[in-house]
Amino acid sequence: MFLLKMVPPQTLSWIACLSILAGTTLAADPKIGKVPLGLKPLPKVKNNAMTAEKIELGKQLYFDKRLSADNSISCASCHDPNKGWSNGEANAAGFQGQRGGRSSPTVINSVYQRFQFWDGRAGSLEEQALGPIANPIEMNLPVEEAVKRIAAIEGYQKHFESVFGEQVNAENLAKAIAAFERTVLSGNAPYDRFKAGDKSALSEQAQVGMKLFFGKANCSGCHVGSNFTDNGFHNLGVNFKQDEPDVGREAISKLEGDRGSFKTPTLREIAKTAPYMHDGSLKTLEDVVEYYAKGATPNDYLDEEIFPLNLSQEQKAALVTFLKEGLASDDYPTVEPPKLPE
Amino acid sequence: MRTMRFPFLHCLASLAIACTTIPAIAQQEGKKEEAQQEKKEEKKEEPKKEEPKPEEPAEVEKPELGADAEEGTKGMVVLEGLSNPCGVAIQPETNTVFVADSGNHKIVKLVDGKAQDVITDFPKDVYGKGPKVNIGPLGMVFLDKDTLVVGGGGQPDGEELLRVYKIEDKAIKADKMAASFSLAATDEIKGEGNFYALAASSTGVYVTCNGDDTKGWVSRATVKDGKVEGYERYLATKEATEVDAPVGIAFSPEGYLVVGQMGEINVPGDSLLTFYDAETKEMLLNLETGLHDIAAVGYSPRGQMYVLDYAWADASQGGLYQILEDNSSDSGMKTKKIMSLDKPTAMVFNGDGDLYITVIGEAADANSKGQLIKVTKEAGL
Repeated sequence: MFLLKMVPPQTLSWIACLSILAGTTLAADPKIGKVPLGLKPLPKVKNNAMTAEKIELGKQLYFDKRLSADNSISCASCHDPNKGWSNGEANAAGFQGQRGGRSSPTVINSVYQRFQFWDGRAGSLEEQALGPIANPIEMNLPVEEAVKRIAAIEGYQKHFESVFGEQVNAENLAKAIAAFERTVLSGNAPYDRFKAGDKSALSEQAQVGMKLFFGKANCSGCHVGSNFTDNGFHNLGVNFKQDEPDVGREAISKLEGDRGSFKTPTLREIAKTAPYMHDGSLKTLEDVVEYYAKGATPNDYLDEEIFPLNLSQEQKAALVTFLKEGLASDDYPTVEPPKLPE
Repeated sequence: MRTMRFPFLHCLASLAIACTTIPAIAQQEGKKEEAQQEKKEEKKEEPKKEEPKPEEPAEVEKPELGADAEEGTKGMVVLEGLSNPCGVAIQPETNTVFVADSGNHKIVKLVDGKAQDVITDFPKDVYGKGPKVNIGPLGMVFLDKDTLVVGGGGQPDGEELLRVYKIEDKAIKADKMAASFSLAATDEIKGEGNFYALAASSTGVYVTCNGDDTKGWVSRATVKDGKVEGYERYLATKEATEVDAPVGIAFSPEGYLVVGQMGEINVPGDSLLTFYDAETKEMLLNLETGLHDIAAVGYSPRGQMYVLDYAWADASQGGLYQILEDNSSDSGMKTKKIMSLDKPTAMVFNGDGDLYITVIGEAADANSKGQLIKVTKEAGL
């Protein structure tokens, strides 16, 4: 190791190395941006500093049904804090009861996702925030209308002026909602505490499940890292053999190799976000483990990381226990609806 | 502009200290901040509210890709009509270029501007989901003038072979190897396969593998007295970095093992460069490069560091990149695009400084558009 000793430390490199190892927070307020045990520092975002006031504004907007055409649906309707920040159904009912083919992804830890939506068509929470408002089968309110509607509410006028120094516009609307969503975090689960040295944090069965998760069951082939996702897109063959299957990521990337691929979701708080898969077609975690154990649904585009797992019933049960117990935080991000501006 | 080589040294020096002392330092710093915060709160007066200024569009910060792109370097095609060439090596003493013509399931050498068969009839497989490509032999490295080690890609995981050949003047069949090794499956562990790329030291051959997706193994074949003696799973790179797929591999001039972690093929910009102590397995440095899919890593005789980006999701970004110091970035590095390439797979410098690169070529007809490209020493890489 003489090579290391012969060269003195350099201040600039110190800083570089420290920032790699320790990460950086994005918040001006040191209390904002703190993350629970087991999670990485929040990714830095240019031009959307998180402040308490902006987060509060974003929370109001998140819960405000006036952002839908008929004043009946808010972001929280389909991404409900009481339902794992999803909605408990295979797919959510939008404007006038319309339903799409995909389930509501959880908002939990979405700040760490490199892409938003199942097909990754948004590269940030800001890009994502306005999509459902304008989507005709979701909230069905054109963004210009949404801006007008919010701008007409006196309480919001003052709040936007105070936070952004200008009246509401589409960009600031998205920024405020994204700032709030960045605070929806789940860490400090039994798995994190076990990893940090508390060997009593996981039950014996959950420990067996954890070993399988990171080994024979191949789950960590995709559900990797502190947020249990590789941020990639994979074809699992879920309902892919229909006449007109949902092509998923291919519709965005235009690459044949992405056919039938969907984003790897986080597994944090997975017990609360049933039903599962991109179309909500599997009702329980037991169903999900069975599906993977049999090797999913073979097709020409099936991901190479999917194959029959040869798991015993005991092993499948242990895996489910790990998912349910190990990844559920005691500090689940509960948020009560705020009082909305008039 | 300084090169990556020397800054990397002092970066490592800092890191070696940082690795052992950061928790303590961070704790102390945290206490300092808390104490300062408390003091501030004690003296707190009603803050004067400043008028906020309108913000610019928000953007999640990511490493910049090709931030210093100055494409100007030209290459010349020295072999074409190859099928998914995936490996290239220089024979010691003769300086002859050997190419793994993977889709044609053979290894050839460049003689008088033409491909001459060296080892033929490797096992075959088809790889990928779109485009699907034919593959056979993949990575290669010479231990000495007569001993070539070849990583296989044509057999199922667990049955795949790392093969050692004694090179002869005439072509030989692939099953005429001097020795071979596999990493079989057990009930608990997936077998290894697709031995992408190889790097050799005097004591071992290090091989990037694509079998167990939970571990991302770099395996090691022990070399003793010039002979390959054993083969084992060695470095669990995915566990170390939490990013998929070790592919490119090389030794730095200082003797560190450098692994290009490709990342998810359909996630742009997630490739890593990771430096290890090959003996202790300690990870010394892990750099987010902003590149899409690092397929190969190499150092020129001048000690400059280069990588190839395959860039599956956006082939227009594919090419040869130099890795340079940049103290203004969080990672302390930046990339500079040297030349665009259509799905490059492997590269090697000869002792004179000429660079040879294999490319797969046009996606729609990937099985016949492969090339060997030469960048001459005059390019000054």
